[in-house]
Amino acid sequence: MSITRRVFVKSGGLTLFSVGLDPLFLARAALSLGRSGPSSAVLGRPILVCLFQRGAVDGLNMIVPHGDPIYYRERPRIAVPARDVIDLDGYFGLHPSLAALKPWWDNHSLAAIHAIGSPDATHSHFDAQDYMETGTPGLKSTSDGWLNRYCRHDREHEDTPFRAVAFGPQLPRILAGSAPSLAIDDLQAFGLRVPRDVARDRLTEAFEALYEGAATGLLASSSGEAFEAVRMLRAANPAQYRPADGAEYPRGRFGQSLMQIAQLIKANVGLEIAFADLGGWDTHVNQGASEGQLAVRLRELAQGLAAFAGDLGDRMSDVVVLTMSEFGRTVRENGNRGTDHGHATAMLALGGPVNGGRVLGRWPGLDPARRFEGRDVAVTTDFRDLFGEILARHLGAGDLGPVFPGFAPDPGRFVGAIRT
Amino acid sequence: MLRRAFSTFVILVALVPCAAAQAPAALTPRDSALHALNRLAYGPRPGEVEQVAAGGVMRWIERQLDPQRISDRRLEGRERAFAILEYDADELATMFVEARRARMERQRDSTAARAPADGAAARPLRRLAAEFQQLAVVRATLSERQLLEVMADFWTNHFNVFLAKGADRFLMPPYIEQTIRPRALGRFEDLLIATAQSPAMLFYLDNWQSVAPGSTPPRFPLSAARRGDQGVRLPRGINENYARELLELHTLGVDGGYTQQDVIAVARIFTGWGIERPRDGAGFAFHDWAHDTGEKQVLGVRFPAGAGMEEGVRLLTLLANHHATMHHVSGKLCARFVRDDPPDGCVDDAVAAWHRSNGDIREVLRAIFRSPDFWAPQTLRAKVKTPLEFVVSALRAVGAEPDTTPRLAQVVSRLGQPLYLQPAPTGYPETQADWVNSGALLGRMNTAVALAAGRLPGVVVSLDQAVPATADHAQLVAAVNARVLGSAMSERTRAVISDQLSVVSGPAEARVLAVGLAIGGPEFQRQ
Repeated sequence: MSITRRVFVKSGGLTLFSVGLDPLFLARAALSLGRSGPSSAVLGRPILVCLFQRGAVDGLNMIVPHGDPIYYRERPRIAVPARDVIDLDGYFGLHPSLAALKPWWDNHSLAAIHAIGSPDATHSHFDAQDYMETGTPGLKSTSDGWLNRYCRHDREHEDTPFRAVAFGPQLPRILAGSAPSLAIDDLQAFGLRVPRDVARDRLTEAFEALYEGAATGLLASSSGEAFEAVRMLRAANPAQYRPADGAEYPRGRFGQSLMQIAQLIKANVGLEIAFADLGGWDTHVNQGASEGQLAVRLRELAQGLAAFAGDLGDRMSDVVVLTMSEFGRTVRENGNRGTDHGHATAMLALGGPVNGGRVLGRWPGLDPARRFEGRDVAVTTDFRDLFGEILARHLGAGDLGPVFPGFAPDPGRFVGAIRT
Repeated sequence: MLRRAFSTFVILVALVPCAAAQAPAALTPRDSALHALNRLAYGPRPGEVEQVAAGGVMRWIERQLDPQRISDRRLEGRERAFAILEYDADELATMFVEARRARMERQRDSTAARAPADGAAARPLRRLAAEFQQLAVVRATLSERQLLEVMADFWTNHFNVFLAKGADRFLMPPYIEQTIRPRALGRFEDLLIATAQSPAMLFYLDNWQSVAPGSTPPRFPLSAARRGDQGVRLPRGINENYARELLELHTLGVDGGYTQQDVIAVARIFTGWGIERPRDGAGFAFHDWAHDTGEKQVLGVRFPAGAGMEEGVRLLTLLANHHATMHHVSGKLCARFVRDDPPDGCVDDAVAAWHRSNGDIREVLRAIFRSPDFWAPQTLRAKVKTPLEFVVSALRAVGAEPDTTPRLAQVVSRLGQPLYLQPAPTGYPETQADWVNSGALLGRMNTAVALAAGRLPGVVVSLDQAVPATADHAQLVAAVNARVLGSAMSERTRAVISDQLSVVSGPAEARVLAVGLAIGGPEFQRQ
């Protein structure tokens, strides 16, 4: 059972940490003391940042098929006019709010994946998000998330406590499970919260001593990880953080999350998986076209991504940022200048390893005869094939079987989002 | 050597019947009292271990098994401050309909700028939801009927519903108040049927959308179809979600011997089990038009053609009394009350009691509490507290008074267990691997320190009740051990706390520190 295994491997890990046998950890600790150096070249650990657009983003107004007259026919009031679209390949173009991302498209580190989604046709946000996070569409009783299953392996003790981090008050489903993962609301508040520094340090020592004495497997090893994390973060000194290159993150929780992810990456604390989410995509009414509700949300997304990529600079060569959303929206606009729950949507992949500058995936077209149930964009890429490709080709995952049970991601179906 | 092994055997045999009848001879009365208070209750309040030990632990357990005879005035007084208990299902449904209508209007009026936030009409419903979470914390903390509260939590989790899924925002309070709580110590069969007919469950697991293929409703509200909300399109066929979770989670268990064909047959049996429209009160409704009247077979039992709603009730009765169900649910009860990995002997005792009593939950529990496994030394402190158990037991340990604002429920959420908000139908896990991780432990330490210092929001603490202030540090540590940790303090903990106290100036500060370290320390994470 996983419980026994975790107690075992994690206690083993503690020993390694305490006698300092892990050279990589020492390198990280040294780097985290603020010395800059050839970090990316030396460490170069691939990193995946997943961003969930909760509420079902309208893929058709995000990556706009402006070359298709059906798009304009079906959306007389909410289509993005061709003159406003930022053309990508003559057929697709970016919503004007995504203009900040165009430079990354041009240098081939931004790709879009269209007509992607779930094989399950549910139109419930809750169920569809759940399926996308558990990685088991149609199966409700899966209790852990696919990112957590990816993190579960027999060498967990080599992970730092910051290997998998979700930004927010609670751990999302996608990271839930038996592999250790952290939910961090605010990096600066991580650790023991006591008004005075001296008192905090003493209290931290006291709790550490209390738990070191607890000869109770998991409690002892988890607290060991906790204090390790506190020390690593103290060395990284998040309060002093200044984004590089004048990067300006958008105000609000999403921008804050992205900035903290960049901080952790630069602090070299062993981050491999980061997760954040942003809401407000459920545009049933008055979704707008070039301007409007959706435009505002997309602008925040693009500004956040642009600031993040600018802030990380060369470090983006190790990073893939992937956006995802539970389903897309109807091709035809509804009676309220909005769109209803649909099927396939579009996702964005950004980063050095991305095979960018193209819209990937097989485009089924907007012809009603080719639509799903006659009304939605059909799914031609199962989201597990994209997630699987990124895990395998970017993070170097070996066996994807346990990550996506009941499904075999097939390299023959990979859209080619990652350079090989 | 052989003789010695033999004599140990004789002693063990002699002990077992003793444990079954009375509290175990192997444990001191104080240890047994603390153990019972940790498992059947949310931990002891100051002085409670002594009270239970003095009155006899088995007598206290019997009292807890009969909650109607326990007076609970203090909690009843506090419950009156919760407006949520004043609303009936109709009023909540109206509020939900209003909030939805207002949201649509607001979206329509907002031309651009920011995505509209939830407005005034949604606020009462959100506030009530937060209040409802807080009510769970207050009840667990203050109720004298502790076992009832533990079982209400157990069944809420066993028959999990996710509060934030659409209509479940307003269906949840009646689900807990009228479906779960009154049956928490009743018969399993009644509880199973009640959950199957509860609008909250019918909505959560989609059964309200499950219809016989080809059936059409006599009238369908066009506005709903146009609106494109949760139920965008007309349901077209059976939905297996409820059927599958009913067999896998609520009754037989994943290894319960059913097949996919059984799941489909069960789904067909429940076609037509639906919900009235919100404006009609959102109660349970059986829709004849949607029911599949064909013949079905479940687990080899024939359900003849032409039956209506009654075949669903017949199926639930069959499932409730199935051996696999008894085993599965008894195993979960033993995992909750005894050990994460429940001992076979205890499960067997529970199953035997289930047989004898036709699924009387009280009898099943009594068998568990009399099982030698329950009182075995290795069972003591073998379980790690869930976040809810940690927060509530900490409040009880210092005799704290929770208020009626939702702030304590938020503390439980931040520690990883937002109440009524587990999306997966499995409910929250029971095993320590799921609750012990580095972030969660730091959160518990912070909560403990804040509680001891009187800084935890939503609660009034006066440490005088728990531990008298004293300038004598040895005396202080001894009091914290006896009153907060139930005398479970390890030598190391004693040494670390004593060492910390050496740099503290006054008795008040010393007490805050000692209590904070004790509650945030390793002993208090266990029960």
